[in-house]
Amino acid sequence: MIEVQNLVKKYGDFTALHGISFKAREGEILGFLGPNGAGKTTTMRILTGFMPPTSGVAKVAGHDIFDESLAAREKIGYLPETVPLYPDMTVQGYLEFMAELRHVPERKKRTQEVLALVGMEHRAKSLIRSISKGMRQRVGLAQSLIHNPPVLILDEPTIGLDPAQVADLRSFIRDLRTQHTVMFSTHILSEAEQICDRVVIINRGQIVAQGAPRELRSKLNLGSRIYVEARGRADQKSLANTLSKIQGVKFAEPYQNGVVVNVKDNKDVRPALAAVVLENGLELLELRPVAITLEEIFLEVTTALGAEEDA
Amino acid sequence: MRNIWTVFKRELRQYFVSPIAYLVMFAVLMLIGLNFNTDLQDRANFEPADGTVVLSTFAFLMVFFAPLLTMRLFAEETREGTLELMLTMPIRDHELVIGKFLGAWAFYSIMLVVTLFYQGILLSLTNFDPSPAPLQSELDLGPIIGGYIGIWLFSGATIAIGMFFSAMTENQIIAGFLSMAVLFILWVGDLAGLLPASIVSTRVAEALRVISLQSHYSTSFLEGVIRPEDVYFYAGVMFIMLFVTTRLVESRRWR
Repeated sequence: MIEVQNLVKKYGDFTALHGISFKAREGEILGFLGPNGAGKTTTMRILTGFMPPTSGVAKVAGHDIFDESLAAREKIGYLPETVPLYPDMTVQGYLEFMAELRHVPERKKRTQEVLALVGMEHRAKSLIRSISKGMRQRVGLAQSLIHNPPVLILDEPTIGLDPAQVADLRSFIRDLRTQHTVMFSTHILSEAEQICDRVVIINRGQIVAQGAPRELRSKLNLGSRIYVEARGRADQKSLANTLSKIQGVKFAEPYQNGVVVNVKDNKDVRPALAAVVLENGLELLELRPVAITLEEIFLEVTTALGAEEDA
Repeated sequence: MRNIWTVFKRELRQYFVSPIAYLVMFAVLMLIGLNFNTDLQDRANFEPADGTVVLSTFAFLMVFFAPLLTMRLFAEETREGTLELMLTMPIRDHELVIGKFLGAWAFYSIMLVVTLFYQGILLSLTNFDPSPAPLQSELDLGPIIGGYIGIWLFSGATIAIGMFFSAMTENQIIAGFLSMAVLFILWVGDLAGLLPASIVSTRVAEALRVISLQSHYSTSFLEGVIRPEDVYFYAGVMFIMLFVTTRLVESRRWR
C-alpha cells in the first residue's frame, strides 16, 4: 500500500532524509518511530504530496506521489501534527467542507457516520474554537476518515491528549486496521509496541531498524532478562555479584527488591539461577522474565549509531 | 471548476461568520454614507447630483480596507496549519487560489451592490420625478454604469494584490500592512505628475500613471467611458497576481 524507495529530502544544505526505504502492506499498522527531528514529519509530508522529495520514489496505493499526485492524494487520509481546523466553522460544517473537497457522495450522511465513529455526534453543531483539545484531535481524525481512504497517515496523533484519551485513540487506531493501512508516527515507544504490526525506527534521517516489535527484539540480539527476588542474609548487591558469575549471564544488577539478570543469547538460565540462590542458603521468592521494551531497543540502536558517528 | 466552487463557498461564508468582515462593511458603508450626504448638501440647488461620488469614495476606501479582508486569506491558513491539509487535498494549487480570490471578490461585490442604495436615492431625487420641475437636474446614468463596472474591476485588482501579500507571509499584520502600503502607492501614483518636473521627471510620472490603479478608472470608467485598455489593465493585474500567488503557494512545497 505504501512503498518508499531511497527517499532523499534536502532542505538547502541540511539533509533531512538520507535515502530511506520501507513498505507497508494492506491492512497493516506501521509505526514510525523516532526522536523529534528524526525526519518523521518530513517523510509523511512527502507521502501525502505536501512536498516533493529531492530524489527517490514513493508510491501510495500504486500511484506515484509525484507523477500522479492527485490520484495518490485521493487515496490518503492525513492528520498533520498540528490538527488543521478552521476555528470559525462548526464541527459539522468543517467535515462537510472536507467531504466536498474530497468529492464524497452523500456528504451529509457520511459526515454523520464519521461523527459517530469518533464519538462527536453531540458536538456536531459546536464551533471548533469552543471544543477541547481531545475533541479537536477527534475531529481531525474524522476529517482524515471522511472519504474512507485505503491509506491513513497520522502524524503524532496522541500528542497532547490525556491518558484516557490516548488509550481511546489507540484502540480506535487498532480497530481501523480491518479497512485501512495505517501509518502513524510517534516518539512514544511503548505506543508503537502496543498498536503496531510493524515498526520503522528512524533517526537523523536514516532507518536504523524495522520489523515487527518482537522480531526487532530478537534481531538486535538483546537477549532476555530475568527478575530474581530472594530472602535471606545476603543483600541485593552480593546476590547480584553471585548471580553474575553464572555461565550465560551477561551481568546482574539490583532492581527494586531483587536483582535483574541480563542473559546472553536467549539461553535459559532459570534452573541455574534457582540452584545458585538455594545453594547460598536463600529463599527464592520470585523468578520471572522481564520484557525488553522498545524503549531499550531504541536507546540501543540510536546510541550505537551515535557512537559510530562520533568515532 | 467544482473545487474552485467548494473553496469559493467556504471563503465567502467565512466572511459572514467573522466579525472583521462586518466591521469593515459597517465602516465602509458608513463613511460612504457620510460622504454622500455631505456631497449632496454641497450640490443642492447648485450642481447636478453626481452618482460617481459614491464610487470614488468606495475606491478610495478599498485601498485601506481591502487589505483588512485579504490579509487572512493565506496567512491565517499557514499559521493554523490548515494550508498543509489543503495542499494535500486532491485539488490543484491554482484552484485553491482562484477559489479564495473569488470568495473575497464576491464579498466586495456584495458591498458594492449595497451602495446601489445611494443611486436609488439619487434617482428618486432626480429624473424619476413624474413631473419634473423646471431646472431639476437629471441623473447622468452613463458614468454610474461605467463606474460600477470600473470600480468592480478595480476592487478585483486590489484583492488580487492583497492576496499576494497574504501568501507571502504567515503574519496577517505584515500581510495587511504591506498590501496597504503597496495599494496606496499604486493608487496615488498618478498624482506624481502634479509634482514639479525637477522632482519627478515627466517620464517617471508618466510611467507611474500607467501603472497607477486610480488613473485607469478616474478618467475613463467614472466618466462613463469603457476603454478596452483599462479593462485589460485590471484583468491583467488580477491574472498576474493570481499567477504569482499560485507560484508562491506552490513554492511552499519546495521549502
